[in-house]
Amino acid sequence: MPIGYFSLILHAHLPFVRHPEYPEFLEEDWLYEAITEVYLPLIFIFQHLHEVGASPRIAMNVSPPLCEMLADPLLQERYTKHLENLLELAQKEQLRTRKEAKQFTEAAKMYVENLSMSLHLWNDRYGRNLVNAFRELQDEGVLEIITCCATHGFLPLISTEESRRAQVQVAVTNYKKHFGRQPRGIWLPECAYEPGVEHLLKAAGIEYFIVDTHAILYGDPRPRFGVHAPVSCDNGVAVFARDVETSRQVWSDVVGYPGHPLYREFYRDIGWDAPIEFVGPHLHADGTRRHLGLKYHRITGKGVPLHAKLPYRPKLARAKAAENAGHFIQERIAQAHKLRKTFEGRPPLVVAPYDAELYGHWWFEGPQFLDFFFRQLHFDQDEIAPATPGDFLDSGLPIQVQQPAGSSWGENGYYMVWLNDKNAWMYPYQHDAERKMTEIANRFADQNSRFKAQGPGSTSNLEAGTLDFELQVRITNQLARELLLAQSSDWAFQIHKGTTVEYAARRFRSHIHRFDLLHEMLNKSYAFKLSESGTTEAVTLTPEELTLLKEIESRDTIFPEIDQRVYGS
Amino acid sequence: MAKKPRKDSSEIRVIEFVLDELEPVSSAETSRSRKVEQRGPGFQDDLESVSSIDAAAPPEPAVQIGNEMGSAALRQLELPKLPLFEKQDRARLQVQSPNRVYFYWSLKTNPFQALSRTLSAGSAGYTLALRLLDTQTEREEILAVEPEGSYWFNTDAGRTYRAEIGLYSPSRPFVRILFSNTVTTPRKSPSSRAASQSEWRITSHKFAEVLDVTGFEQDAFDVVLAGDDTERVDELTYAALTQLLDEREYARANIAPEDIRLAMVALASGRTLEELRWKIGPALFTILQAHAEHVDSEKAAAALSEVFDIDQSELEEEDYGPAVGTSLVNFPRKYYRGYSPLSSHITR
Repeated sequence: MPIGYFSLILHAHLPFVRHPEYPEFLEEDWLYEAITEVYLPLIFIFQHLHEVGASPRIAMNVSPPLCEMLADPLLQERYTKHLENLLELAQKEQLRTRKEAKQFTEAAKMYVENLSMSLHLWNDRYGRNLVNAFRELQDEGVLEIITCCATHGFLPLISTEESRRAQVQVAVTNYKKHFGRQPRGIWLPECAYEPGVEHLLKAAGIEYFIVDTHAILYGDPRPRFGVHAPVSCDNGVAVFARDVETSRQVWSDVVGYPGHPLYREFYRDIGWDAPIEFVGPHLHADGTRRHLGLKYHRITGKGVPLHAKLPYRPKLARAKAAENAGHFIQERIAQAHKLRKTFEGRPPLVVAPYDAELYGHWWFEGPQFLDFFFRQLHFDQDEIAPATPGDFLDSGLPIQVQQPAGSSWGENGYYMVWLNDKNAWMYPYQHDAERKMTEIANRFADQNSRFKAQGPGSTSNLEAGTLDFELQVRITNQLARELLLAQSSDWAFQIHKGTTVEYAARRFRSHIHRFDLLHEMLNKSYAFKLSESGTTEAVTLTPEELTLLKEIESRDTIFPEIDQRVYGS
Repeated sequence: MAKKPRKDSSEIRVIEFVLDELEPVSSAETSRSRKVEQRGPGFQDDLESVSSIDAAAPPEPAVQIGNEMGSAALRQLELPKLPLFEKQDRARLQVQSPNRVYFYWSLKTNPFQALSRTLSAGSAGYTLALRLLDTQTEREEILAVEPEGSYWFNTDAGRTYRAEIGLYSPSRPFVRILFSNTVTTPRKSPSSRAASQSEWRITSHKFAEVLDVTGFEQDAFDVVLAGDDTERVDELTYAALTQLLDEREYARANIAPEDIRLAMVALASGRTLEELRWKIGPALFTILQAHAEHVDSEKAAAALSEVFDIDQSELEEEDYGPAVGTSLVNFPRKYYRGYSPLSSHITR
């Protein structure tokens, strides 16, 4: 009988970045880097753990935009080229380092091996679609995949109930499309919660969600077991909160494992270090330097300047990852003993959520750490057992009813990162679009019911099935996509953080602009219908408008299954 | 900005016009206008401007990304532009944190025209104003504004607020034109209420232990300090603040004792008064600011030590820095590195 339970929760999300209008696009690299450094290594490790019988139990959010990108043929094709290009560079590097820089040979060899395996997994094992891999891991009982809001919309800053509901309902529908079942849990974007959200979740069939620590600690009434047991909202939706200690040990830049001198240095990259004539063929056509993912240095020490970093030694780093994993387990055992004492014998549940991108992208050895951790957890001890939130709910243990407090897991614990002097300008535009979207959905529903009332044989140009009706459906569904994309919390985050501000602001402007263009298009056709009421003349778009509609549809392809009726009130 | 002093609701009565033009509406209910207009100058030129809604919007990129488009329609996509605001009633209040909310608004019509039609000569002397109302205490904050703008308010945790745009004149009723959604600011400290069912009930001391093992030492401190005799501890807290202010009088109304303790511990740990802006309630911040010359780390520590018997060595701030990577995940600060609810001076 374990003395405590450990629930690792990984949050894998990227904003929907897909630019078919360009042959190459820098920000698409976010996805490609994450596939190479995070998703493929994690999938490989989880699958292998399963095969050796050390099956971990992990909850993982694969967000709807990420699922949509992973399943997108254009991005799959582009990633294949990206990976082949990287492998080609790594192979050249292996030859070069043998002759010119033997201190880097071990790392160069590692990259060739890793990338070769990645290409095999990508092409042969998973058919270039990693949704298949995640689904398989869930079906094998390794992962409990949870959903997220449709485009990672920050719920407390969305102005209408209908728009909040759409973020949840669209996500659930998309999850069913990709994973063939109903999701049990949801990762609230940025763990942002405000009282009342649980009703939207309950209506969507969600059993639990994840919040930050103080959501439960500051909840009412006081939680008997702190964050080391879930609570339940009064409508029965369960709430699991982040354990601070495990966050600090892995994630803190000051005391966390990833800062060890033996681990790989993130900011030294061949894309910047190598002569341009050498890496040039592997950059985009414009020749601009960028991170390529081959890095040859280790952190070396706090404050060591980049030029003074020492060569990366994969074997030493791997040994350190094993050591850290062992330490992490010992810390969990000690924590469980301490908590059991506090809780008078009740086994605690430690919930440890992290951005998935920490494991492999920011902390290169992170996947190895997880590999060692779950092996040692399974083979070397029996005091701590892995469990997902769903496992806990299935245990049937009683859960305290509580009203959690409004909170997020962002800086200072509330909504400051997503609403501040730098990004507050976005919200009036977003909120206008939210209001309009529901107006349109309601108008559409009303119109539709009137057509149905007319019965078969009606000659109205608004009858379902006519070109006119199909166009309206297309425009209205695309409006919903544009609104959802504008609501991505990623844009406000990046603007606040000061990273890729221009791209984030442009993306927000683009989706609001496209929403506005489509809205005008729709209103124009409505105006025409009203003036020509009773005629059978078809209302359609001008060729120019039709071209524009097609172009917008071809760019923002997310959620082809979307149904604008989700916005109706 | 011309900021008016706070007033009790008893001092200002509210009237609401029922004319079409001045019918008070919530932003959630507005959907009446479709006309797109370039935003013009304010209705009253002599009002000091509040920042316009999109004043902070970044400029269009200097270098446009793009390739050849097949038509004028497609070229629109190369230059994404935010739409001009429709002339419309908007009033949206948003929570940023327990101590800060953001409000933006716009008016569809000129309220002074309707006012002058209704009150004729009596309309003189009214100013377009923004009022933030604490719906529980009826406390309000009023300031002069333009017909469109945005504003950040300092608030208290766990309170419910609504913002209103209307016409203000001293000693006359506030004419409400538009009101916002209602928001409740989040708690920033543990609840004082234990569960009623015995299975989940927990004593204050035990709950402090739970908070402590969870890494929330600051809240553990506060909970164990307050114990189950909150009245006594609240008195001690006010006494500590009085001592910090060199025995100067201050109005206790609207100052939560836990806010005082949070502020004093933060000050004693080396935080500046400015760092507490937006982190404590407006009434307390105003008092501390008014006595800024008397407020410093040493005096805060001395007051806490004398009143609560907290050892200076317990008041060291510990910072875990940012998260690895670009995440801004929250690590709660530990102001009490040496503090333990079970061994602290305050529990002996």
